Amino acid sequence: MEKYLLDYNWTVMAPELIIAGAAALLSIIDLLMKEKQDKRVLASLGFVAVLGALYFTVSRFGQQPYEILGDTYRIDDFGLVFKTLLLTGTALVLAVSLQEAKRKEITAQGEYYYLLLTALLGGMILTSSADLITLFVGLELLSISSYILAGIRKRRTDSNEAAWKYVVLGGVSSAFILYGMSFVYGLAGTTNLYTAQERMAEAMGNGMESFVYLSLFLMLFGFGFKVASAPFHMWVPDVYQGAPTPVTTFLAVVSKTAAFALMIRVILGGYLFLFNSRTAEGLELLTTALLVLAGLSMVIGNTVALRQFNNKRLMAYSSIAHAGYTLVPLATLGPMLFESTVYYLTAYLLMTLGAFTVIGIVERNAGTGDISAFAGLSRRSPLTAAAMTIFLISLSGIPVTAGFFGKFYILINAVATQHFWIAAIMLATTVVSYFYYFGIVRMMYFRPPVLEGKVKVPPASALVIAVAMIGTVVLGITPQWALEQLGEVNWAAALSPLNGGAPPAQ
Amino acid sequence: MPVSSYLALGAILFCVGLYGVLTKRNAVMVLFSIELMLNAANINLVAFSKYGLYANQTGQVFTLFTITVAAAEAAVGIAILFALYRNRSTAEADRFQSLKG
Repeated sequence: MEKYLLDYNWTVMAPELIIAGAAALLSIIDLLMKEKQDKRVLASLGFVAVLGALYFTVSRFGQQPYEILGDTYRIDDFGLVFKTLLLTGTALVLAVSLQEAKRKEITAQGEYYYLLLTALLGGMILTSSADLITLFVGLELLSISSYILAGIRKRRTDSNEAAWKYVVLGGVSSAFILYGMSFVYGLAGTTNLYTAQERMAEAMGNGMESFVYLSLFLMLFGFGFKVASAPFHMWVPDVYQGAPTPVTTFLAVVSKTAAFALMIRVILGGYLFLFNSRTAEGLELLTTALLVLAGLSMVIGNTVALRQFNNKRLMAYSSIAHAGYTLVPLATLGPMLFESTVYYLTAYLLMTLGAFTVIGIVERNAGTGDISAFAGLSRRSPLTAAAMTIFLISLSGIPVTAGFFGKFYILINAVATQHFWIAAIMLATTVVSYFYYFGIVRMMYFRPPVLEGKVKVPPASALVIAVAMIGTVVLGITPQWALEQLGEVNWAAALSPLNGGAPPAQ
Repeated sequence: MPVSSYLALGAILFCVGLYGVLTKRNAVMVLFSIELMLNAANINLVAFSKYGLYANQTGQVFTLFTITVAAAEAAVGIAILFALYRNRSTAEADRFQSLKG
């Protein structure tokens, strides 16, 4: 039977449509507003749109997977979980940016808000695409919006420079991914990820292994850039340092989560046959490559961070190290691959968001991005210092925080699959990371304050810090509950094709 | 096999582009080099849509998308370069090095 436009269940795309509509609306309202007008109303509109999209995303959980737009776009639980993370992250970033914009830090306010939304939209397309074309378009929508966001303070040289480095290295990584995709298309004659998987499995049997590996490794190269893992991490410190703090938060939290969703989707959706092929050779190769990426990220991220004196640079290296940890479950294909990855990404989202918010406040107050800005914070704002301590404890992975259980579950994956060396690297580098995280704690509690007076914490930022702190602590106290919730999600749906989606609505 | 010559062209173009990104000092040349890399992928896609294992039109459709996206990326790259040039009065990429630590 022929299916017509309205035979499809369009409500499954409600979150994407809301965000796209909001971005378009915001850009039009921005045009109609006067140059000097206060544009924070746009932020509120964007915030409402993100919350609306979040509502529709969450209410979709537990239902059958559905494919739409000629099977290029699939709404399954895997995508929904990642979309929830992306939307939560963006909502919190929007709340923080209200303050930043008020201080005239970001002059192009209108552009800032709707580019955040288009970047978010790209991330959402990325998480639920089942087709190489939509994956690529989603990835580029996210990347190009992020390039502009990184350089949004166009009169400042450091911001320009960050954007330049980001656009060049981001462009190279996109080219690698696209070049890899072109080989997938060549082997499979289709851009559908799941059909491509079947046909690539055939090609693998017909002596085309080299092309299969070529496509996989070219794409891995690009993914390495996008998730900010070593040895493809050159851009991360510069971009994180030069971009405005809310944008850095967005890149560290939302962009990275979306890149992980892309990586997992392509590797598990497109190259699943490597895992059940008769020869274990392919799997061995993939596992080794991913583990090397993970190990290098942990070692380089954690050791180079020791030498950093700029807060955002330090957090950039910390984020490289965390990309390394997050790669472990995918690399080892452990028993809790999805659960532990998502648990860790959630924990990472909360603690990084919180830490960056505090860094933003402290930086603004001290007028410097140096670590010394934290000196004596415990006396100038005890609550902020306490919150930052919790975030740092969680980032370093000390018990009763989300970060500890995240690392613990990742470690279980590594040990259960007998990859002891990566577990050893992880433990050793975690200990190394204590030094730089506690360097900040030492600054806050044991150094006399340079400036006098209380540090003002704006209400929106205080709210974000509170949300992040409560999340970090609650996830740390009830990890079993969180894991059970994640266990109920239908992950397997992300791995298998649907063959044309659900029947048309009557 | 005719496809291998196209693939070779694509591979050469990709490598030339990568070499350019890594070595060129002029920022505009760096952007050009990225375009070369993206176009190498386009050549592959079009070649595969004619001579691939399952030859069909999808590759050409994919190319249309990538050309559009590459244009957007180049536009953003040039705009960022303009902003940088205004502030620094130079287009030498290796002099953009104020961020370090």
